[in-house]
Amino acid sequence: MENNNILQNLFLKQFNESNAIAYNKDFVSNPRDYNFQLLDNAYRNAGKIYAQIKIAIETNKCESEHCALELAQIKQLEEAPQASLDFLSSIIAELNVTEESSFDPNNNYQYTVANSLMTAKPGFSKTDGYNAYLNLLPDGSQEIAFTGPLFKKQVNTFLNDKPITIEVEDPLVINSAALQALADSDTSLVVSTPDIGSDMQRLLTEVGLFDLDSIGEDKQLKASAKISEEFIVRNIDGSYDYEIIDLGEGKGKNILKFDLEKIEKKVSPFINAEAAGLMSSEQDVIAAWNVYISKDTSVDEDAQMAQDANAGNTSWIYEIDLPLEYDKKVLFEIKYKQYFMNNYLKQFTTNQPPTIKEDAAVFDLAEAKKAQAQKFLDDNNLN
Amino acid sequence: MVGLGAALIGGGFSIAGGLFGASAAKKQQKEAAKEKRRLQNKLNNLEASRQAIINPYQDLSSMISNPFSNLSVATGAAEMKIEQADIALANTLDTLRTTGASAGGATALAQAALKSKKGVAASIEMQEKQNEDKRAAGEKQKQDALMKEGQRVQQGEAWEFGQREKREMQELDRTAGLLGAAQAAEAQAAADGGSAMAGALGTLGGIAGGLFSK
Repeated sequence: MENNNILQNLFLKQFNESNAIAYNKDFVSNPRDYNFQLLDNAYRNAGKIYAQIKIAIETNKCESEHCALELAQIKQLEEAPQASLDFLSSIIAELNVTEESSFDPNNNYQYTVANSLMTAKPGFSKTDGYNAYLNLLPDGSQEIAFTGPLFKKQVNTFLNDKPITIEVEDPLVINSAALQALADSDTSLVVSTPDIGSDMQRLLTEVGLFDLDSIGEDKQLKASAKISEEFIVRNIDGSYDYEIIDLGEGKGKNILKFDLEKIEKKVSPFINAEAAGLMSSEQDVIAAWNVYISKDTSVDEDAQMAQDANAGNTSWIYEIDLPLEYDKKVLFEIKYKQYFMNNYLKQFTTNQPPTIKEDAAVFDLAEAKKAQAQKFLDDNNLN
Repeated sequence: MVGLGAALIGGGFSIAGGLFGASAAKKQQKEAAKEKRRLQNKLNNLEASRQAIINPYQDLSSMISNPFSNLSVATGAAEMKIEQADIALANTLDTLRTTGASAGGATALAQAALKSKKGVAASIEMQEKQNEDKRAAGEKQKQDALMKEGQRVQQGEAWEFGQREKREMQELDRTAGLLGAAQAAEAQAAADGGSAMAGALGTLGGIAGGLFSK
């Protein structure tokens, strides 16, 4: 069973993408107020305060010795506009992640709501009960707070000795100093899921299974790319050891056999290195796990599945599973390799026709079996 | 988006435009930094786990030896021959003593025995000479083989150095290329963010009636 956070995120995603609001008569017939006026409100009284402090300093009426406190306040106010812009641009950048197609719904859904406010999505206006505030704090930091119908939580309490559940305000508050500290430690508020599809496509060209002429100028595999001859199984006499596919009606055809053990040996160091690269951000590992790796779904499948594109009850939870335990890291590496083998490499080792034209023809199965038996007798001197 | 953003954020179009431009640049900068860290980790792992280069020309000189260096002389048969000569001499002397033969006969016998012993000594000497010849020939072969091996090992070291150099250079080139690109992207994004913000800042300064122009 999926948790409430995932459901909220998936609902918001569907809501924002479905265009359903266009068919809501109430929404269409009424104006919507998106004037949150974050900066205007934050700096409304700043002018007066600045002037008062400035006058106090210039007329020697400071409350602190040598006007130390007042001078510090002036400095803070002068630096505040730049800080506000930095802060807001950082917030917008963080929240924008919630719009990415591979967004992990295990991120706190309140960030998705906050992004809907900041990008003025239908249904998230002041008219709909939402609001946002930017506050300049005495310590020089700033905070942004989001309130509204989806920023509430349920609390269990008692009324006349009877247990009841009530809904209370639960605003999303982000402090600029905290956000900067996260950024300085290469940590995200909202995790952007690594582009596993691109990584795997690139990995295909790096693992040493394909000849150089299979790789195009764009560093991607060409449509005609084939695994190198050295990984194709051959008989002792050098001929290809084909697998015969039964086409029905007594007919069959040859397909190439690949030395999968050799292939795995070859690709493993590269896949391990790729996984190690991802480990540079454990948040990313969890996002990749939740969106792709855990359920072994490919990028294409994920795109088709829309809402089900997540690990569901096998999700790793950011708040609980970070820092990642050793066992989880090992499990991730194993599943990452499987993901690569199953979703990206398998197509090159399955149903590959012979490179020799004559061997690629459809043949009579009974005759082929007879020929195979005779060859066995010949090879083993059993005639 | 910018028009709507102006209402959301306040302060007018230039602030909203600057903010959204700067946020896009920040996101790019962050992604570039993340990519840089990922690549660095990946390369560290590749370097740490790469296979050792096996030198096909590894030094095999310890396996070269002179098979004739410790040849022994087959003295057993010689000793037996001497022993037999001594026994024969003793028996003959006993017979002579019993039959009362002349002293001349005994002398002749002793000389025959001596001759036989000398023959044995000569045989041993010849064996020793042959062995010495073989030992010398073997030593020459060994020295020749050692010299060849030495040359081969030198070739191997050169090959190994070449291989390592080639591979390390490839990796270094790739590292430098990828990390350089990520660093450049990060720097470019930072610059983009800065210029996007420049106009916005001026406008924000005016929100409180030119408050911040000292």
